[in-house]
Amino acid sequence: MKRNVAIIGGGQTRHAARRHDVNQVELVNEAVRAALEDARMTMEEIDTVLLGNMEFFEGCHMTDCWMADGSGAYGKPGLKITTGGTVGATIVCAGAHHVASGLFDKVLCIGFEKQEEGDTGAILSGVAHPLYGRSMAGAAVGYFAMMATSYMAAWGAREIHSAMVAVKARQNARKNPYAHLKLDITIQDVLNSRMLAYPIRMLDMCPASNGACAMILADEKTARDRCEKPVWIRAMDSAHNEQFELDWRDVTTQKPIFSKVSAARLYRKLGVERPADYFDVFEIYEPATWAEMVWYENLGLCEPGEGFRMIEKGMTEIEGPIPVNPSGGVLSTNCIGASAMLRVWEAALQIRGDAGEHQVPKPVRRALTTAYGGTNWTVLMALSAAARD
Amino acid sequence: MPEPELIEIPMTVDVPYRFSAGHFMGRFLTELRDNGTFFGIRCPRCGRVQMPPRVVCAVCHVPNTDWVKLGLEGTLAGFTIMYLPLTDPTTGKPHEPPFAYGSVRLDGSDSVVDHLLHVTPEVAHIWVGMRLRAVLRPQKDRIGDLSDIRYFEPLENQQKPEPKPSRKEPSDAR
Amino acid sequence: MPVEPFLVDQRITAQSRYFAGKTGSRFFTALRDHKKILGVRCAACNQVLWPPRSTCFKCFSPLSDSDLVEIGPHGTLLTFTRVHYREAVHPKKAPFIYGIIALDGADTGMAHFLDQVDFETLAPGLRVTAVFAEKRNADILDIAYFKPLP
Repeated sequence: MKRNVAIIGGGQTRHAARRHDVNQVELVNEAVRAALEDARMTMEEIDTVLLGNMEFFEGCHMTDCWMADGSGAYGKPGLKITTGGTVGATIVCAGAHHVASGLFDKVLCIGFEKQEEGDTGAILSGVAHPLYGRSMAGAAVGYFAMMATSYMAAWGAREIHSAMVAVKARQNARKNPYAHLKLDITIQDVLNSRMLAYPIRMLDMCPASNGACAMILADEKTARDRCEKPVWIRAMDSAHNEQFELDWRDVTTQKPIFSKVSAARLYRKLGVERPADYFDVFEIYEPATWAEMVWYENLGLCEPGEGFRMIEKGMTEIEGPIPVNPSGGVLSTNCIGASAMLRVWEAALQIRGDAGEHQVPKPVRRALTTAYGGTNWTVLMALSAAARD
Repeated sequence: MPEPELIEIPMTVDVPYRFSAGHFMGRFLTELRDNGTFFGIRCPRCGRVQMPPRVVCAVCHVPNTDWVKLGLEGTLAGFTIMYLPLTDPTTGKPHEPPFAYGSVRLDGSDSVVDHLLHVTPEVAHIWVGMRLRAVLRPQKDRIGDLSDIRYFEPLENQQKPEPKPSRKEPSDAR
Repeated sequence: MPVEPFLVDQRITAQSRYFAGKTGSRFFTALRDHKKILGVRCAACNQVLWPPRSTCFKCFSPLSDSDLVEIGPHGTLLTFTRVHYREAVHPKKAPFIYGIIALDGADTGMAHFLDQVDFETLAPGLRVTAVFAEKRNADILDIAYFKPLP
């Protein structure tokens, strides 16, 4: 990094199935005001505003242009970013670039989605290649269902393992006042829920949430002057996949896919040998339960094929040795444009010790976050309580 | 005081598109339409056969040069049984649930094609590794689109292999 | 092997719904139920903004129901044009006239149709007034068009 970058504030809305009381701008504005309050800053002090969501999910393009009042962007430079489900993290990454470059000191990053407004099925089909994928657009659930059948066939995992991940997520969400699906469910509840696409059941899949997240990034001088508990962005990496390839849906693939490529590069940048020891908490992007088990493996938290054993042994619970998604994760809250940013913000809360009831009960100095977009790439971020070590 | 009325305004966006398939997809779709043949393309450096054919190998960053004629048979790499009524956006018609679809790797190809599986939509009848063949529409009905494939059907005389040896029961008392 | 250009026609049809939000809902219900046009006043800037919104774009002050003010129905034409080409998305068939009207009491303009007027007589500065639709649905076309004040 040319200059160190810190997260000096943030905020999120209480994510919900319905937010008929606000329009998109007002939703964004809630998160923005919360972030400014958390950072004890005024909008006047912000140098630039970066905004993102899933393009056209609400039936509107270029949301940044008519949101300039609520986002605070009026008169300021900024960018609109759309990278699919990974966009929340791409915005933070871009924000970090803005600060690290020395060109900007205080950057406001915003991610949002008002999913109730849009026809996500129709628009998601527009993501598929028009000539080679659109006719068979199986939607997100079909994609992860294929990953699941591949995973079960490869390693002998069973539906009960998926249910364990689902229970962990929603029980964690009960400790997170901002989460959408705070569900007191058991494994049996999950196994009894409606089958969507074999083997994925309703409770194995993320919800559609309405929500926004905002974060303020700053340079080191501003962070030291203004923030009691800055959280430092120590490294980032992202990688695209090639289109038309099975990649994540074939868990036995030997191809260098986005999640493994990105993790390997990030670890090299930081000199990480054992990520399970190096990082104290993980916030990963899991639209479906099976994706979480595969992330464990792709991040090197366990050997290939051992992901389902980790959840079986409770290793990734809040009080476990390798806590994953203490916030409840994407499985509990999925306002797509914000979801990847929420991973970074929740990890920052853990490092600050501000996660309240879902704070992991051990010292947290370093966190790793992942993102995932149906555009087939990810953004990984490593956060730390220290600017250098 | 009554709650203020919250206004929502419905919108329909209906947009036509015309895509240029380009040189590589154009040939792929033309061959499928006219001859009922699948073509992949091989990277001259890594030897990977990509379907659909494309201009450059993403891994090697070199132009793909060698067209490879593929057969109609392949292996199931992943599948699901869909219980949701998904609409095919190219026809506007729903596929009636439950139906099976999966990713098929044609023999000789390194890539897959996703399509419907003509098989009883139950887990006992479908497995990763199943051998399949593409069933195409008659030539007069083909238009140069993946829907020229009606579905993939299993080859004859196959049996679902035995599941992996069962492990100790997981503890679900948490 | 030379290949003819291969073109594929497809469509995407998506249904969505836009929630007008707090001040927006007030604006549309006032149009529908009372044939009143509302703007919102930012006390800090001393400006009246249309359309009504929950944050002032200039100073970022929060704005609420108590800041709503009635504007119009008369106004001054700022600029205008006549559209001659047809698009499926247009709410009217071309040719039609639309312009930007500074409603009395508002500091920002409203784009809307002009009708019952001779195009050649239009000029910036013309005084116009809103004509409301008979059947109103709480959308912007509850105002049917603006016409010159007699």
